Amino acid sequence: MHLPEIDKYAHLDSPLHRWDGRVKVACIAALLLAVVLAPTYPLALAGLALAVAMVALSRIPATFIFLHVRWVLLFCLFLLVVLPLTGGGELLWRLGPAGVSRAGLSKAGLISLRALAAVLLIFPMMGTARFHVTLKALRRLRVPSVVVQILAFSYRYIFVLFDELHRMLSAARARGHGRARRLRMFRNVGSMLGMLLVRSLNRTTRVYQAMLSRGFRGEMKTLDDFHLRPTDLVKGVLVAGAAVLLFTAGALA
Amino acid sequence: MHISDGVFRDPRVWVSACAAAGGLAGVLLARMDAEKIPRVALCTSFFFVASLVHVPIGPTSVHLLLVGLVGIVMGRLAFLPILFGLVLQALLLQHGGLTTIGINVLTMGLPAYGAYWLFGLERHFGFKAAPFVFGFLAGSAAVMLGLLLLKSVLVFADEAFVGVAWTLVIAHLPLVVVEGLITGSAGMFLKKVEPRLLEARGA
Repeated sequence: MHLPEIDKYAHLDSPLHRWDGRVKVACIAALLLAVVLAPTYPLALAGLALAVAMVALSRIPATFIFLHVRWVLLFCLFLLVVLPLTGGGELLWRLGPAGVSRAGLSKAGLISLRALAAVLLIFPMMGTARFHVTLKALRRLRVPSVVVQILAFSYRYIFVLFDELHRMLSAARARGHGRARRLRMFRNVGSMLGMLLVRSLNRTTRVYQAMLSRGFRGEMKTLDDFHLRPTDLVKGVLVAGAAVLLFTAGALA
Repeated sequence: MHISDGVFRDPRVWVSACAAAGGLAGVLLARMDAEKIPRVALCTSFFFVASLVHVPIGPTSVHLLLVGLVGIVMGRLAFLPILFGLVLQALLLQHGGLTTIGINVLTMGLPAYGAYWLFGLERHFGFKAAPFVFGFLAGSAAVMLGLLLLKSVLVFADEAFVGVAWTLVIAHLPLVVVEGLITGSAGMFLKKVEPRLLEARGA
């Protein structure tokens, strides 16, 4: 288990870190959409190249990226193994009763390229500013207040619940959890999760009431604000332009 | 259970799923009281943190989904924690994808309602282990239903995914039992310790 610290490297300095949050989120989201829609290999490769370039530009360390991307890589690997074996059609080579299908292999490759490019784009989008700043940018982009509030609270509670669960697990281990038979173990985990729910639901209700009594009206007030500069717009035009280019090339192909 | 970005060749598949999920979420959010926000947010984090817990099964491990438990606790609003949990998973953990959230949330959120309904039947049976039995049914049915929905979406989107879909279903079968056991004992626990939490759900 590791904590979801996507904004661990938000303190670095790069053209992406300096980019205005509103423009950044909107433009990279557009690029992500265009990448996902890429219908051919050259376009998907171009998308991947763009994504890699932006990640490199953001200066987020590669080890950190890999730690987060490994699940997607696993999913791609799974597709790359299963799709060619079950794809049917023309066979590249035979392996006993099964064969490696050309259509399956090429489909799995294309999917993997797009998935990887899309997931890499999340780092320049989310990893180059503190999470609450990104949420504020979303609010400025007219995302409804309830949505932003739920995301903000959930983000906060993840760390609380994580700590709480950790504490409960070490306590359980001290009492011999893990040595019991499987069936018993699952029952203990169930009770533990129930306990976690009871404790934290009561706590969040109290926290929310305290916030309301201190004048919370559903808008997060933070000191940092956005200032749009010409360079922000230039970066925006570049990234959005790449997105439009990818999209039209895909629509024509 | 998570489908990554870029899997579907035909964008209509995920665009329509996103539209349907967005519509449902919009209706639920518009009708929801502001005081429900902490509850939804907490269940969102609960769903998120549960997915970080890996259960060893044989040589591999799968992570918990707890869709059934979220359904039992949240009732009518169960769709929301799952939606926001998936959004956070895509943004923070790079688990799943942003464009496939519609599909992922429909295949997991709708079974949560099934679980809610199944667990609700428990009231009609007075015996002592009823919360466990119906919790077990709710938890395992939610995963099973989710798998079947996912399988049909995959096969509907692309015939070539038949093999992939069946492999996914089979790989998750042990999870059906594990989730049942965990949801059952959590249901039993909640019924004993904080029945209020189950009665005040949704509404």
